[in-house]
Amino acid sequence: MHRLVLLGLNHSTAPLAVREKLAFNPAQQREALQAFLEKFPGCEAVLLSTCNRVELYAVTAVQHSPSSDEVLIFLSGLRGVDPEQFRAHFYTKSDRIAVGHLFNVASSLDSMVLGESQILGQVREAYDIAREMTTAGALLNPLFQRAIAVGKQVMTETSIGGGRLSIASVAVDYAKRIFDHFDDKTVLNIGAGEMATLVVRNFADLKLGKLLLCNRDPAKAIKLAEEFGGEAAAFDRMDEHLIAADIVVTSTGASEPIITRARFEKLLRPRRYKPIFIIDIALPRDVEASIEKLENVYLYNLDHLQQVVSTTQSQRIEAVDAARKIVGHHVHDFISWHRQRQLGPLIDGLYRRYHGLAQEELNRTLNKLPNIGEAEKAHLEELTRRIVNKLLHDPIRMLKHSDPQHGPPAQYMHAMEKLFGLEEGDS
Amino acid sequence: MPTTGQLALLILSIALFATGGILSLARTWWDKAPLRLLGRQCLYWGLIAAVAVLIWHSAQRARWLPLDDNFDALIWLGILLTLFVVYVQKTRPIVGIDFFLMPVVILLLIAAAVFGRHKPNQYVRNTWDWVHRASSYGGAVAFAIAGAVGAMYLITNARLRRKSNKPGTMFGSLERLEHLTRISVTLGFALLTVGLVTGMVIFLQRDPDSHLGAHWFLNPTVLLAFCVWVIYALVLHAPINPTFRGRKAAMLSILGFVLMIATLVAVQYMPAGGGH
Repeated sequence: MHRLVLLGLNHSTAPLAVREKLAFNPAQQREALQAFLEKFPGCEAVLLSTCNRVELYAVTAVQHSPSSDEVLIFLSGLRGVDPEQFRAHFYTKSDRIAVGHLFNVASSLDSMVLGESQILGQVREAYDIAREMTTAGALLNPLFQRAIAVGKQVMTETSIGGGRLSIASVAVDYAKRIFDHFDDKTVLNIGAGEMATLVVRNFADLKLGKLLLCNRDPAKAIKLAEEFGGEAAAFDRMDEHLIAADIVVTSTGASEPIITRARFEKLLRPRRYKPIFIIDIALPRDVEASIEKLENVYLYNLDHLQQVVSTTQSQRIEAVDAARKIVGHHVHDFISWHRQRQLGPLIDGLYRRYHGLAQEELNRTLNKLPNIGEAEKAHLEELTRRIVNKLLHDPIRMLKHSDPQHGPPAQYMHAMEKLFGLEEGDS
Repeated sequence: MPTTGQLALLILSIALFATGGILSLARTWWDKAPLRLLGRQCLYWGLIAAVAVLIWHSAQRARWLPLDDNFDALIWLGILLTLFVVYVQKTRPIVGIDFFLMPVVILLLIAAAVFGRHKPNQYVRNTWDWVHRASSYGGAVAFAIAGAVGAMYLITNARLRRKSNKPGTMFGSLERLEHLTRISVTLGFALLTVGLVTGMVIFLQRDPDSHLGAHWFLNPTVLLAFCVWVIYALVLHAPINPTFRGRKAAMLSILGFVLMIATLVAVQYMPAGGGH
């Protein structure tokens, strides 16, 4: 009989300074699992380490090591830190609670950014490493496979992972609704605001045709151009750049709009009326609002983009209940399945032991009745079989329907083994 | 004249396309794999049923040249449009293209069932006739695509202007939709031009007075076809005059398609053997 133990810390229990000391990269995860197997032979383990959490899922024999304390000492020892220094940051969960926690983690319900999909890949990666190191066995294999399936289901059947949560990614999404490909497009960045830099970084990842960095201070423009692999563009030749640009990201500190309607209207013909996507992140705004009335001009400011982010956040929060329902259903399902799987050999052992005892007693009695016929003999055999079945019926029914609130199933099973004198070989 | 069996098979095809369309629309609210699979199956089986009708009809007449009569021609149009939808969804899918094109396909098949039964219009007499019909109907298919894509462009453009952040159905980028419109219009315009020229040749081969009358150019079919030609010429000259790109081109494509439908309907009421 085995039980599942989880020892871990995450973004809500430990600050970054603590998490970074205990983080494991994939190579270190392999080493840790190898060391775990050597220290606790016969146990199973999966080590999940991301920037927001470090969790060790271990399957251990009941009443045997490793205890959560031993796991804490083991993990601290691997990272060369004092366990007492970190004890307060760790949480311990077991069995059903640990299963629920893992399913929540895989579904991104326990993430710092609700609904982020990266965690599912990280859970899969941790499981793959454990499989590779053969530390995932009879319990952790089905558990992690189910966790990954639950994560996928939550992501596809609820809107918890829908939408975008950063201004920069929202801007890129809108650009993708206007343009089909970007390898022939020119992005013009005016100014050097922090937010605009983030937006430009996202656009730069799209493999642009040309990236122009324009700033009143040429040195800043050159610096940004080097950073993003673009071209520095002269601020006083702004009109030329606006004619060439397909996407404009602007965030200067100007007190008045630098792109007015009158200015841009004159550029429409030289631009041959091609569509332009203008992202104005400046405060006060750099682009006159009435410019969006012009044909093929799509102007978005900070409020427009922020509104999308807020909507996404609300949608994700609304989806939490639906996600928790899916997780709850799978936890119940997995626990039931696992219990049935664990109980099978025990119940089988019980029946074999007591039918064996009954058969012995029956044989002894039959030996004392030499004149008994075959029909009577069959009746007696049936009688003993039915008595044994009826005697075992209640305890087995109680075992099958034992309430996990009153203790883990492993405890019931352990009690059954002790009460009915089942040796390891019997079950 | 199509048989009752052929009409029954055609109705089955229409029903399958309609079911596929409803399933596709339902995916806007409930996008599940079984719906997607079922919708695709309906599309494929509807297409197979329509092709089966064509084969049966041709075998019955022992004439395998396409566009041989009204029934045959309208089904051909429907099949070509469906093939385009299948091609797009197989290569680079555009969500929603079937919302716009499949109703047109259904209307064409219904028209085939209605007009094909009452006005079989066997009018292919020679090569000129056939080229005229093939190019005119080919042009109609291209314009149907341009019209549908134009509508999608207008919706996407309106959403972008409203700063709509609702997930809704994404029809693809404006750039791709504009590109598709331009390709469709270019192809359709070329085919329509061939259709108009061959129509003229056919007309000149016959006695104008006994056919369309001395004022043949005032005939609704000829006038409408000419209007369609002018509209698409406007759309096509966007590279020279870029003010005709984007929203204007999309609106003109829709207008052109509506006129094209009107032309096709007008053809049905032309004297037998005189129209397309």
